[in-house]
Amino acid sequence: MRFRPARPFHAALLVLAILSVLAGCNGGGEEKGNPTPAPAAATGEPQRGGTVVIGWSAGPTGINEVISHSTLVTTEVIRNTFPQLLEEMPDFEEHPPTFGPLLARSYEWSPDRKALTVHLRENAVWSDGVPITADDVRFTWQAQKHPDVAWTESYMKEHITDVEVVSPKTARFHFSHIYAKQLQDANEGGILPKHAWEKIPFSKWRENADWFVENLVVSGPFTVASWEPQQEVVLVRNPRFWDKSRPYLDKVVVRNIPDAASLITQLLSGAVDFAPQVQPADIERLQADDQVRVIPFWHRLYVFVCWNLRDPMFADAEVRRALTLGIDRQTIVDTLFPQGMARVAVSPIVQSVWAFDRSLGPLPYNPQESRRILESKGWRDTDGDGVLDKGGKPFSFVLLSNAGNQQRNDAVVMIQQQLKQVGIRVEPRIVEFNSLVTDAQDGRFEAMVFGLGMDTSLDVSANFGSNSEREGNFGAYKNPELDRLMAEAMAKPEIRQAKPLLDRIQQTIHRDQPITFLWESQRLSAVNRRVRDVRPNVLFSLYNLEDWWVDAAR
Amino acid sequence: MIRFILRRIAASLLLLYLVLTTTFFLLHLAPGSPAGLLVEDSRIPTEQREQLRRIYGLDRPLPVQYARWLAAVARGNLGTSFSYQRPVTAVVLDALPATLLLAAAALVVEQAVGLIFGIAAARRPGSATDHLIRIVSLLLYSQPSFWLGLMAILLFSLVWPVLPAGQMRSTGFEDLGPAARLLDLLRHLALPALVLGLAQAGAVVRFVRGSLLEILGQEYIRAARAKGISERRVVWIHALRNALPPLIQVLALSASLVLSGTLVTEVVFAWPGLGRLTFEAILSRDYPLVLATTGFAAVVVLLANLAADVLHALSDPRVRDA
Repeated sequence: MRFRPARPFHAALLVLAILSVLAGCNGGGEEKGNPTPAPAAATGEPQRGGTVVIGWSAGPTGINEVISHSTLVTTEVIRNTFPQLLEEMPDFEEHPPTFGPLLARSYEWSPDRKALTVHLRENAVWSDGVPITADDVRFTWQAQKHPDVAWTESYMKEHITDVEVVSPKTARFHFSHIYAKQLQDANEGGILPKHAWEKIPFSKWRENADWFVENLVVSGPFTVASWEPQQEVVLVRNPRFWDKSRPYLDKVVVRNIPDAASLITQLLSGAVDFAPQVQPADIERLQADDQVRVIPFWHRLYVFVCWNLRDPMFADAEVRRALTLGIDRQTIVDTLFPQGMARVAVSPIVQSVWAFDRSLGPLPYNPQESRRILESKGWRDTDGDGVLDKGGKPFSFVLLSNAGNQQRNDAVVMIQQQLKQVGIRVEPRIVEFNSLVTDAQDGRFEAMVFGLGMDTSLDVSANFGSNSEREGNFGAYKNPELDRLMAEAMAKPEIRQAKPLLDRIQQTIHRDQPITFLWESQRLSAVNRRVRDVRPNVLFSLYNLEDWWVDAAR
Repeated sequence: MIRFILRRIAASLLLLYLVLTTTFFLLHLAPGSPAGLLVEDSRIPTEQREQLRRIYGLDRPLPVQYARWLAAVARGNLGTSFSYQRPVTAVVLDALPATLLLAAAALVVEQAVGLIFGIAAARRPGSATDHLIRIVSLLLYSQPSFWLGLMAILLFSLVWPVLPAGQMRSTGFEDLGPAARLLDLLRHLALPALVLGLAQAGAVVRFVRGSLLEILGQEYIRAARAKGISERRVVWIHALRNALPPLIQVLALSASLVLSGTLVTEVVFAWPGLGRLTFEAILSRDYPLVLATTGFAAVVVLLANLAADVLHALSDPRVRDA
């Protein structure tokens, strides 16, 4: 038989033919998920069974919370395998958040409020059948505080002096003093299995993340069936979960899809059922698809311009006020966010939280007033170059933002144009996020656009405290009066009692303008309508994963 | 010959040491610090961050860190990943098969396309086919692979949705039979392998064409044609056989280019290999992981070059005696 070489165009046809065969073998298009469909169900009635595919931009970094790099997806996976004692409810809009039962069925305070007693569920067992006891609660606290484990959240256990085992199902937290965040601090972190994980000394935990996956014992509604780094984590129902009626789903696949465009494509094709975070730019495309439901909710992140107060240019509060007046924040918000998905930020306590001081509003956009204030402070255009100057030094600075965040980068350019009208020269500079954080922590910047979150403890000292320059007060704002107010607020036994102090804190920050608040935005999740009862919120995207169910009728 | 190989191995080891040392210092001199330790949460106190730095030895002077790292590497210990808290060796070994598969498939595409179209162009120099092939190969070679990747996704996953846009397998892969699994893998492999292979194939096409044209003009080819041997036999048997030795060298060099190309291709196609791992490790300043993946890439490149040198020396005594 003679060898017949392929002609180039025949070869091209052959490649196309192979592509067609490969495509045809799977019905074409994106791969379809959900190989085990749920049994037929009447719409509206939760049914067991089915698989849900979640697309996430990153993969989980580990299963042991106290040593894993804390990312959103890691937290969500761990939360569904290692529940906390209590569940913080997403009801913080009208009042401080309440706490519902989870691994603990109830809790009570001692009369002096320096001890918190939690009662564990009688029927709660680990996935290997061993009962969950107060020994596990104490072991967890020991791991969380151990210096070799170096849990990044261990500061939350700083004021817990002991965890006492009162009985197999009763544990008691002892606090050094009374303060507002006691319950949050005690509750932080999932409970770990002492009988399984004490086999490795704490000093070896950070080198052995694989061991915890290989020796996995869980207590939550799901357990890990497989873990493929950079690809997917498959969660399946934990048959020993205390609530026998939950979860409804058989399987949850958490797929790592780093490319945002690819995630949207897979969501629209049905290969992915739930995307915890989609971009505002994609909202119209998603809303046009009747299979997809977009779920918006207000984020607790606020984006701002941080002025470096170490620089004399920004040291005066009146000058900072002039800078804020010279930035048209409403136009920035309207331009960058469609459909009212953001609003101008006013305070570090965002407007969706009960403690926001509703007497405050954003400073108006008023370039004339801005220029007047700057002139009163000696900033005038003496050389006619269009840029204000003082003592021969022009009012000019570099405004940093991080690469990969288009909204912030666009905002930087808009701010450049707006401040130019006032006579201030801004040089936008986009740097890698890691570099930006390092520069911020070291105080090596003039101004930067940044974002910070606020949890329900409402402790703003890390972002505005005089001693928090490396934590979140990057601009080195110092106000002893504010330090005192923040300490006083956090010392209240109930955060509700601190509301007047929290108002004064917000008013002080509003007056001093150490930062210019830009916006607080909604976060958008998107879900295929065949998956029902999906209720993501600002606390957790997979908030009620055990309640999700697949509507086979769709 | 043995002395030649030993000399080359010694030079390769020295080069590997220099690559790793340069990478170590460049990495530490770059702005930023390990994101896994920075923990972008303003509530975490400075003392807590310092404790993590102590645990990973990042609080020590840079020369001390270098000496400790070098000593550990000499003992075969590449360290623990900051991001994954796993031994770096395990993290790299997890990602390695995916990259080897992608690189092998890309090399097959590259060489097949390069040979077929290079020969086609060389057979009719100056013809419309030759011009078309040269223009297309130049276009392919000059395009950045991330752009080719995005265009491939746009074309084959969105406009004409026939292939998956990313990942290495479908959901429910584990429930499939062996044949279906293989098919599923091939579907996911198709686009990244084509993009990576075609990007490099442009160069191979031009190399094959140039080499063949030179050989086709030689006396013994003229003699073969004069003897009435068919043109196909002249090209594929007589000419190509003599053009192959330099092609082997090109193949060895291509291996390193393909490996470096996986970094971008794996990111674009969410392929779970060493390239994506390296990209993420660089962003998070996971020093031990970056050093390990760089070291691995350097070893592959050095081995490929060593193999090319040896093959070249075997085919040409002047080289080994030099």
